Formats: sequence, structure tokens, C-alpha cells
Amino acid sequence: MIAQFQHATDHPAETSDFLRISTGNPQADAILCGGFPVNSVNIVMGQPGTGKTIFAEQLLFHNANTDRPLLYLTTLSEPMSKVVSYAQRLGFFNVEQIGTRVLYDDLGADLSAHGPSALVPRVLDAIKRLSPSIIIIDSFKAVHDLAGSTTEMRRIVSELGGVLSAYDVTAFLLGEYTQENIESYPEFAVADSIVQLERNALGARDERYLRVLKLRGSAYREGQHAFRITDTGLQIFPRLVTPNFANYTPTLERTSMGIEGLDTIIGGGVWRGSTTLLVGSTGSGKSTMGLQFALEAVNRGEPALFVNFQENPAQVERMVRSLGTDPQVAARTGFHHLYTSPVELQIDSVIVDIFNFIETAGVRRVVIDAVGDLMTAASDAQRLHDFLYSLVQHFVVRNVTTVLNLESATGLVGGREQEQRWSYMSDNVLVLVRGEDDPAERTLRVIKTRNSAHDPAAHRVEIRGDGVHIL
Amino acid sequence: MLVVERDPHVRELELFFLNEAGYSVDFAEDGEAALKLAHERKPAIVITEIMVPKLDGLALCRKIKADPVLGDTVVLVFSILAAHGRARDAGADAFLMKPLAERRLVDTVRELLARRAAIQPRSQPGQAQ
Repeated sequence: MIAQFQHATDHPAETSDFLRISTGNPQADAILCGGFPVNSVNIVMGQPGTGKTIFAEQLLFHNANTDRPLLYLTTLSEPMSKVVSYAQRLGFFNVEQIGTRVLYDDLGADLSAHGPSALVPRVLDAIKRLSPSIIIIDSFKAVHDLAGSTTEMRRIVSELGGVLSAYDVTAFLLGEYTQENIESYPEFAVADSIVQLERNALGARDERYLRVLKLRGSAYREGQHAFRITDTGLQIFPRLVTPNFANYTPTLERTSMGIEGLDTIIGGGVWRGSTTLLVGSTGSGKSTMGLQFALEAVNRGEPALFVNFQENPAQVERMVRSLGTDPQVAARTGFHHLYTSPVELQIDSVIVDIFNFIETAGVRRVVIDAVGDLMTAASDAQRLHDFLYSLVQHFVVRNVTTVLNLESATGLVGGREQEQRWSYMSDNVLVLVRGEDDPAERTLRVIKTRNSAHDPAAHRVEIRGDGVHIL
Repeated sequence: MLVVERDPHVRELELFFLNEAGYSVDFAEDGEAALKLAHERKPAIVITEIMVPKLDGLALCRKIKADPVLGDTVVLVFSILAAHGRARDAGADAFLMKPLAERRLVDTVRELLARRAAIQPRSQPGQAQ
């Protein structure tokens, strides 16, 4: 920031607001409320294989568009040749930038020969010779492990912190740190931000999470944000948080469920933007009712999204056809189908996909068939509940009318606690029950309709060729 | 030129980059020592941090600008504090915020000295201050 005072008014507004460095990943930037502060010292921590190097390299290549070079210093964890070799397989790697805008250097030999105190002179020398705008040190934990004592490491960290804060450079210290290290390792005291990458085994697959533990002088999105490692870098799914209702205006418009006989017993249809929980056992007609609800909107010219985890696309096409609608015509006129195999199901990615549909296709109705599959896939029931609650609130703000199908053999929503959770999340609760003596006999009971009168009696349900009918 | 700076890392980098740009540099670690040195060496430009001991950078700037001998000295306030307005009010010729970016620093120094030379053509400071 320069101000030359030629005239009395010739000076910028007095502010200490900082610029940001993009991570090269829009979702990570959103989590960091714009990226890392320029001229900061940042720690990216996580066990081996969590994606630290990929995260840092994605950031590096994304910012390799200035006249100042960016510097990647390897230490004693992984040799530079291996880091570069693997980086070449990633989509963001640009070989033409190597040696000009992106510079790799290996400090391993110096550190081995002279110990960790060789680090600061090398960094200072690099600043004087190369004027880098970003420096990444991978792994800084390896430098720490080389120090003979805490006192020695404190001295090195203090020196390095002094050099890095004196110069116009943003630094990233990568390391295989654990949660316990944060309180005792001196590098965490000088860090302006700490980003943690985690990997948890869940059955046959891994779940990965990014979490911001600290971002000095800035807000950030708290909590675990799921991510995948892809050949184009980290694909992050920011944790869903409850939306801002400041500009929300509720609509007082009822909309038909598209199921004969149902509208009349729930007070003339559901409120637009409401959420209906449809509970029932296998074969009770939930999926068919969900499809009818989605297709009713499509027939009126409103795009709808059917999300399911059991029936594959061919099976859903057959179901649509059996309801008297040509699947191709439905697809052309606004019927969207999002299928994810329950084996590969990661709730965070499904949520992001749903949002993309809502934003890009202008979806007005959503069916999730069934939320039980999400519960099975979730490693943390509380987290799933928070997710669904936030998702429902986002639907409300967008006036998207929703049906959540929930499988239950008994017709109950679960234990008392579960029942209360689902109930307060939903405006309407409908329960489909199969007869104890005759499973072909089905009834539907309206348990709750928020802000509406409803008929509490059990109504017979018939599944005919053209769908479900409530008698 | 005279640089008033107590941070050893900033001093080392200022010395390196200003030398690279062709300037010779004297250092002082506090405002009082800087004022004394300024009287002895009569630098063309004083670059000062605000947060220096004994006499802060803004007070130093006011004293230099009010001094009948040193009044023509260019003062560049180069600080960690976002204090453009206070620097201007103290009579500084320019303000630059830390951290050190050598191109910004050297370009600003060159421009300030060129402006001074244009006003005082007979006391052309040249490249070795």
C-alpha cells in the first residue's frame, strides 16, 4: 500500500484489510471466506496420504500467473523428484511453468548435513535471489523432528517467522502433525491459519474431511467439509449451514401433491416450500408417490428432481413409464433424476449435486428416496441430522417443495427421539402402513400438517396402474 | 539514505535490496539516534518505521520537517501500521505499508528522490546517498 502525499486529499482510506490468496479451489476459498490472507504463515496439517501436497500444489499452480516466482521447498519427508513426479499426473500441473514461475528446490541435503538451523538461511537466500511471492515448505514437521530440543525449534521458528513476516511473501508449512502437536509445537503459535486434512476409514472406503482450525483476523466456515482427491485436485463439499432467512418471504400458495385423494385430506395440498415426510415399509408405495409428486410439477411446467439410491436409472424409467409418462418427454420437460449407488454414497457430495440442480435447472420440487439410505451412509447420525435440517431450510428459503421418503417397517419414524427430530424438520408427516393380516391392504394416516387442518383418519391406499390413489 | 528500523529481519532485507538498487544505507534503531545521525550525515531521504523506541517515527518526521537544516529531507514512513493519514499529518512525503516488497520500496524511493531533485536541481542526490 503506497501513498504519496502530493495533495492533501491524495491518500487512500486508512484500513488494515488484507488481500487474499486463492487456493485454486472455489469451495476451499468459500470455506476460508475468500482464501488465505496475503503475507500470512499457514499450516496445512494431516497424516500421510490426506492430500496436503496436492492441496498446496493446486494453490501454487493456480497462483503462478504473476511476475514473481512461487517456491516449493522439500525437506526430509519426500524427495523433490517424487513430489514433482506425482504432481505431473494432476490436471493443474503445467510443465511450462516449472523453472520459471514455479520453482522446486530440495533442502534435504543441507538439513541432513547442518541440521534444522540450515533452514532459515536457505529461505532468506531464496527471498534475496528469487523474490518469491509464495513459499511452501514440505514437510516442516520433518524439520521439527530434526531439532535436538524444543528450545532449538523455538529459536528456528522465531527466526523463520521473523523473516517471513518481514517480507512480502505468503508461506505454507505442511506437516504430518497430530491434534496433540497443536498445543506444544512452536510453529502453531506463529501460524496465522491452520487447515487440517483428515481421513477416516468407513467400511470399504475412506471419508476425507477438511477443517479450518484457525484463520487469524477472518471469519471462516467451521466444521468438517468432506472432500475427494481427484486427478484435478481436491473436490471439496462445504458443510451445509442453515441459510440466512433475512430476505425470505414465505408464499401462501398451496400446491397439489399429484396423488388422487391426498390433497383433500391435508387441507387442499401442501404449502409451497414445505417439507413432507412420507414414512412407510418396503412396497408401501413411497417411491411411486414420490414420483407422482415430481411428475405433477413437471406436467405443470415446473422442473423437479428425483433423488434416489436404490433403483437404478433404467428401473426409474420403467416406473415413470408405468405412471403414463414417456421418460424421454419427462426428461426434456424438466424431470431430473439423480441416482447414486448406495455403495458409493457420500452425503456431502449428494447435497452439493442437489444444490447444483436447484441452481442450474431451477428445480421447484425435490424428492429424496430415501433418507434412510443417507442415514446408512453417514458415519455420524448427528452430522446427518444437522445436514438434513440445513438442507430443508435451504429448500424453504428457495420455496422448493420437498418430499422425504423414510423406510420404516412398523410405520413409526423410529424411537421417540428420532421421531421428534424428523417431526420438527418436516411440515407434514404421512405414514403408510401395510395391513398385519393382509399385506396387500395399505392405509395412509396424516400425523401432522403444519399450519393446516387435516383429516386424522386412516385412509385406504390403492396402487393402480396409474399410481397411488388415496380413498 | 537513513533507515530507522529495529527489526533485524526487515533491516537485513532493506539493506540488501536498497544496496542492490545502488543506494548506500545508514541505519538507526531508534528515533533519537536517527535524528542525531541525520544531523551528522544529512541524508536525502529518511525511511522510518513508526514503532521505533525513544522517538517514534511520526515524531521524528515532524522534527525533521520542522528543523531549519533538515527540513528539505524526504521522509518515507514505512510501517506495519496502516497509518497513511497520520503520516501525512506528520508531514511525511509518502507512506508505504509493510511487509517489504522490494519493487514497491525501491520504486517509491526513486520517485521521491526524483521529485526532490526536480525541486532542488542543484542538490541532485544521485544514486549513492
